[in-house]
Amino acid sequence: MSDTPVLDDRRKKERYEALVDALYQDVYRYAYWICKNSALAEDLVQETFLRAWRSLDSLQNDKAAKAWLFTILRRENARLYERYRPELVDIEDQSIADSDENEPDQRMDRRLLHEAIGKLEKDYRDPLMLQVIGGFSGKEIAEILELNNNTVMTRLFRARGKLRQAFFPDSELTDDFSGDDTFDEQS
Amino acid sequence: MDDFEFRKRGLANPNDSSDDFRSAAAADPQRAQWLQDLQALDARVHAAALSIEVPAGLAERLKAHASEQSAPAATGASVSALPMRSRYQRYYAMAASLVITLGVIMSSGLWTPRPSAADIKFHDDIIGHMYRETPRIENATADLSMEEINQVIEAAGGHLRDDERIKSAHIKFANDCNVVPSIKGAHIVLEGTKGSVSVIMIHNSPVSTEFDVNDPRFQGKIIPFGQGNLVILGEKEESLESYETLITETFEWVI
Repeated sequence: MSDTPVLDDRRKKERYEALVDALYQDVYRYAYWICKNSALAEDLVQETFLRAWRSLDSLQNDKAAKAWLFTILRRENARLYERYRPELVDIEDQSIADSDENEPDQRMDRRLLHEAIGKLEKDYRDPLMLQVIGGFSGKEIAEILELNNNTVMTRLFRARGKLRQAFFPDSELTDDFSGDDTFDEQS
Repeated sequence: MDDFEFRKRGLANPNDSSDDFRSAAAADPQRAQWLQDLQALDARVHAAALSIEVPAGLAERLKAHASEQSAPAATGASVSALPMRSRYQRYYAMAASLVITLGVIMSSGLWTPRPSAADIKFHDDIIGHMYRETPRIENATADLSMEEINQVIEAAGGHLRDDERIKSAHIKFANDCNVVPSIKGAHIVLEGTKGSVSVIMIHNSPVSTEFDVNDPRFQGKIIPFGQGNLVILGEKEESLESYETLITETFEWVI
């Protein structure tokens, strides 16, 4: 016997709310790193979850929810903002959580890292944030970005290479892998 | 696994747990140290990426979507199952409310127009220009004459009136700028109390509204001025009001 519409709706709502509780912070932070603006990021997250609610039935497996939401978010960003607005050059200072637990040195370190991450080209920052915030594997990132795995690995490699250069410009640790074929990249 | 392979895999994923990668790290103390340093940097990147403050109450607002969308279901009908007429009536009611609300806000003087997408692009171009020019500006030490300054400004279609306040200001840099590729602008730099104060004049379409610059280093304003724009930028600590007054009272377009 099938459930009543009211019961279906209640279950859908519970499932959606569990999804929000589990993932809204990661989705917001990823949105922020996509657009580097807190107001736009919140709008994007609202649109993303609104779409997620409307098509929740198409999510077969809750374990895939994060990748599903991140993909929706990327599409919403492309649909709503990317074509109308160039990427912001710099991030907002006020978006860094100013926890009392952080020492001034730690806060400065975060600020510098924020700037360095924010200055990465989008092609590099995007897979790096998917790996760092989303915890996705190279293969999963490749699926989300619709790229091949080697391209993703090359971009991750270069993203970290650029961050290392920003923080250790004269260090012997600096790597010089400037070739285009680092991971046999194919666009 | 050679060093190149090891390092490229490390940079792509410092936490690669595959056996061959871990063995390669364990077999060579230099590699192990390199990887350890990389993992330390990665931990800092991770902490920084996750330190973005999530707006308070966001989860509740997102859940409210579901409540709003599912409300009709409480009566046994889904949103899509509502009769079309009823849905349109709701949209008309919402649109009417919106028009009334906007009318009240605008007539009460609370309306602050937001910069358009084109304005924001102009803003981003200005900021990009500032960062490119900063090394030259920081090294500038000249004390330019009014003639030298006006030569640059006049090439951009403007003029600074002969004014004692301008004459007594230390203007150390004046150059044309190409923020808008097809329109020659002027960029002059005054010595402020906390660093350099830049004034950029461009005879392009005025922005739709005056708005503040959003940048971690610089503060300032983009001001629609006659048939063009004035941009005033300084370090965060600088008080820019007096410079704004000085420029808006002495500058004019002559084309």
